[in-house]
Amino acid sequence: MENNEIAIFNYLLEYLDPEISDILYKIPDNKKANIEEIRIRNEKPLMISGEAKDYYVSSKGQLSKYEKEGFVVRGEQLNKTFQIISNYSIYAFEEEIRNGFITLRGGHRVGIAGKTVYNSKGVETIRNISSLNIRIAREKIGISDRIMKYIIKYPNSIYNTLIVSPPQCGKTTLLRDIIRNISDGIPELNIRGMKVGVVDERSEIAGVYNGVPQKKVGMRTDILDGCLKSDGIIMLIRSMSPEVIATDELGGYEDIKAINEALKAGIKLISTVHGEDLEDILTKNGLGEIIERKIFERIIIMDNSQGVGTICDIIDGCTFKSIFY
Amino acid sequence: MLILKLKLTGSILVLFSTSLMGYIYGKSYKERLENLIYLENCIKLLETEIIYGANPLPEAFMNVYNKGNKKVSYIFRLIIEKLNKDRECTIFDSFLSVGDTMKNELNFKNEDIEMFMTLGRSIGSSDRTDQEKNFKLILTQIKTLEDEARIEKDKNEKMFKNLGFLAGLAIVVILI
Repeated sequence: MENNEIAIFNYLLEYLDPEISDILYKIPDNKKANIEEIRIRNEKPLMISGEAKDYYVSSKGQLSKYEKEGFVVRGEQLNKTFQIISNYSIYAFEEEIRNGFITLRGGHRVGIAGKTVYNSKGVETIRNISSLNIRIAREKIGISDRIMKYIIKYPNSIYNTLIVSPPQCGKTTLLRDIIRNISDGIPELNIRGMKVGVVDERSEIAGVYNGVPQKKVGMRTDILDGCLKSDGIIMLIRSMSPEVIATDELGGYEDIKAINEALKAGIKLISTVHGEDLEDILTKNGLGEIIERKIFERIIIMDNSQGVGTICDIIDGCTFKSIFY
Repeated sequence: MLILKLKLTGSILVLFSTSLMGYIYGKSYKERLENLIYLENCIKLLETEIIYGANPLPEAFMNVYNKGNKKVSYIFRLIIEKLNKDRECTIFDSFLSVGDTMKNELNFKNEDIEMFMTLGRSIGSSDRTDQEKNFKLILTQIKTLEDEARIEKDKNEKMFKNLGFLAGLAIVVILI
């Protein structure tokens, strides 16, 4: 498993400026496996972060807490990296750049910040790139196995489930694995696979690259990649007759409206939302309301108190009592 | 008798070689024009690949190589091969690397190569609307170069052919 993580990291280095990738290559293997983000900022030290800590990277590939030991990234290295990431073809990633990120093969996401240029229709492009954030997508197959029993209602149906956690605690990773389990079915629990429709607005769940999902999301999964949740949910209902719809990061009123449509069609939902705990999400506009309407029957609360992906609690959405043991 | 025969063979040889020189020199004008037209077609193909297909450059260039006239389109393959091989180099560097090939093998003049390099400087670095503008500019430039090449060809191709033959004749007359 560890070797695999290191291989993923080394593979990602192909996308970076040769000098930066040489430096990162020298990072000790035991550290590589836990890196979650590579941060490249113009004329700032190169940084990596993982397990809720961040480090400067020296020109010898050592991790340091001291700023002055960090290797300072030059503008041309940042540009070169951006060019490789965009395959020397910015025009081919117009839409992605407008959204602020590019998905690489393997489902890793590169966030882009710089000078945004507007036109009459909204953001036109980002020029003068100043920061890149390479988020390494970690696939943890099997992490949802032990909680599937809370989600399954009876063999052909699941509870509407909401995963709540602060950023970087493994929401999406858990969601992806739940999708895989539902889609493939679990013979041990006598569960047959169900058709799952995924609206992957930010290409994070399935990491589709050139039309092929780069993550294991199951056999019966259809993915609308890069589609707005509010549009995608409706489109999936019409086109793919899913039994379960999964999306990431519920938020706006539009999303809530689409959810109501899905519920009308008798489709089960799984989604995630940013938040600390139940009280926190109850205060959110729109979302709080549907939780009070008891639409989500299971609420999974996560944090990183015992490492990324700790499941703190599973709450019954009807009684608001913990059922996790 | 023998001397006369030798002289005759010599004269024919001289005439033949000077005519050939004139012909080859004249032909380079014809080739330049032809290659410019092929290049224009390749650039048009590339424009379609980029503006309508939104294909990333490596793919777009290989498609141009496959669809275009191989006599010229192979430079697109060379560019992408260079880019894939050498991670340090930028797209413009790989354009520069084919400059000599264009000059030596395809009879392009410096201004043609300069035009092509302008393409290398801007390609891929901006969004589609901007790329479209660049292509328009390049295609107008290449048209101008073609007109220029055509005039030169009309003027020079015949002249060099005649010149070659006449020079040979002059040498023969002087030597005899």
